[in-house]
Amino acid sequence: MYSLKVSNLCKHYTETLLFKDISFELHPGEVMAITGWNGSGKSTLLRIIAGLVRPSLGKVEMFMEDEPVPKESRRKFLGMVAPALALYDELTALENMEFFCKVRGIAYDRESCLNMMKRVGLTENANKTCRNYSSGMKQRLKLVQALLHNPPLLLLDEPGCNLDSNGMKIVEDIILEHRQLGMTVIASNEKREVAYADRAINLSE
Amino acid sequence: MKSGRWRTQTGPLTYLNEATAIWLRDLRGEFRTRYAVNSILMFAVTTLVAVSFSIGSFRIGDAEKPFLYSVLLWIILVFSALSGLSRSFVKEEEAGTIDVLKLSARSQAVFLGKLFFNLTLLGALELIIVPLFILLMNYKIASPGHFAAMIISGGFGLGAGTTIVAAMIAQASARGALFSVLSFPLLLPLMITAIKGCERAADGMNTAGWPEVRIAVAYTVIMIIMSLFLFPLIWEE
Amino acid sequence: MIVKVLLTLWMAAMIVAAFLYAGAAAGFPGQTSRILFFHVPQAWIATLSFLLSMVASCMYLARRRVRADYLALSAAELGLLFCILATATGSIFAKATWGSFWNWDPRETSIVILLMIYGAYFALRSAVPDPDKRRVFAAVYSILAFVTVPFLVFVVPRITASLHPEDTMNPTNPGMDPKTLKVFLGSLLAYTGLFVWMLRLRIRLLRLEGRQEPEFVISEKLKQEGEKG
Repeated sequence: MYSLKVSNLCKHYTETLLFKDISFELHPGEVMAITGWNGSGKSTLLRIIAGLVRPSLGKVEMFMEDEPVPKESRRKFLGMVAPALALYDELTALENMEFFCKVRGIAYDRESCLNMMKRVGLTENANKTCRNYSSGMKQRLKLVQALLHNPPLLLLDEPGCNLDSNGMKIVEDIILEHRQLGMTVIASNEKREVAYADRAINLSE
Repeated sequence: MKSGRWRTQTGPLTYLNEATAIWLRDLRGEFRTRYAVNSILMFAVTTLVAVSFSIGSFRIGDAEKPFLYSVLLWIILVFSALSGLSRSFVKEEEAGTIDVLKLSARSQAVFLGKLFFNLTLLGALELIIVPLFILLMNYKIASPGHFAAMIISGGFGLGAGTTIVAAMIAQASARGALFSVLSFPLLLPLMITAIKGCERAADGMNTAGWPEVRIAVAYTVIMIIMSLFLFPLIWEE
Repeated sequence: MIVKVLLTLWMAAMIVAAFLYAGAAAGFPGQTSRILFFHVPQAWIATLSFLLSMVASCMYLARRRVRADYLALSAAELGLLFCILATATGSIFAKATWGSFWNWDPRETSIVILLMIYGAYFALRSAVPDPDKRRVFAAVYSILAFVTVPFLVFVVPRITASLHPEDTMNPTNPGMDPKTLKVFLGSLLAYTGLFVWMLRLRIRLLRLEGRQEPEFVISEKLKQEGEKG
């Protein structure tokens, strides 16, 4: 049983205040949406939750059975998709997945990776290097990467970007399936992407 | 959609596994693009040709050769290395893969993996350039074992001293020049030792105990240990 | 105020004493040994300042208090200043004593390497735009640089001594007759006082400037709102 607690997060860059006093708690089965204009700090907020960026004030805590998870280990329990997060261009999709499995300490199972890729519609291209992928294909692969280790927390920053309506359907399926057992935070302005959220925070106010 | 859960046990062996995964992936990427290798080797070969052409092996007296050649060799090695060793981190930053790496791997494993990669590059550099240098310049070496040990330990020191600096400059601006500016003061003790060690190995006098090799090894060990402590501070914001 | 005046008087007294009170040391041509009253303290301060900066960097990394970084930065700036002075005065001494401005003997080499380390430190600081990252990176670099110093202390003398045995400078013993010793120690005291005074001034300045920084203004505002709300 995992939970996420965000308290009084504030972030400013030199003269610009991005957001302040962001607080919420998240439990399995809940989906939180973060909305706001472009540049309002949605991506930054997600990166702070992931532990990639330090907040100016406030803190992010993750709990496992009420035991706090240390910051260095937080990454093990989350999967992230974001426009800024790229995969390795010079490797093929499978090689990318193999790398992530090995480096995260998961047993690499070619079959199950292929199944995951099939699920997001990437089968024929498993052996092409990612340089030759379209942006839609890359986006789908990013989704696979985030789910590789079955994380309890999913951070999705504009998960549907570059995706056609088939791709969007896949994203919705993933959100729905993950919602059964895990926590999700989605940063987006797209109605389809935030449709399944229980609550929302708008950063533009 | 089943796959394994994240491994929960930690221990030195798992660090090595993760580091090896990063190292091999970097190697694979390098093999396909050959960016760093080209840069380093082109620099080294060009410099070597220039040196060999202008100095030749007849213009310098035999007494001066052990020392002068040692200096030239290490200048070529160090500056070639500086032209390519920051590549592994800078490439991650430029390609945007640095975040997914931060989210997937432990910081010390990243450091070790990148260190192994840099050492591989240095190994390839030395393997190609040192024999070429000896051949072109007609470098007579009295104790080749000592010489080889100096080259190898010096190469390790080069990698150990520069990997963490590469991580820093990848996240800064003005990367190319900054890498050399920052690395050079850190590498000077090693360079001075290595030059002296190769000189001694070449003229075969006073080689008892291989003191310079031991200094280079000590330098390598200390820099790696310090980097293992300090790298997480740079890697995790 | 008092301190400033006392310091000025003491330094002036030392300068006068260096030329009039103490005798010229034997073994050095003419009056050249007098520069050592200035050169040696400068070199020591340059080196100790580096140590101070490194310790402050460790303190910063441990607790992330900005004041530790102010200390590290000020110590580095002053260290650079005194290092330049030491290099210059050392070079003048070398010209007067041995006839050439630069010889690469162990001490000269060490002071130049220290100069390079300082230069690299400031190059790094100016290349990182984000202030927190800048402080962390600078602190890490200063620790790494410090770790290489013992190698220089062991390595450089072994290498260059065997090449140029006659060039070992020995400025710590400028003829130890009592007058010379007195002036020497007095000068050391004067320079240390000068260093501490400049350091405190610089840190105060950094703190005041830091209060104007947009980050500080915003974070103070946020903290106040947090306390109120």
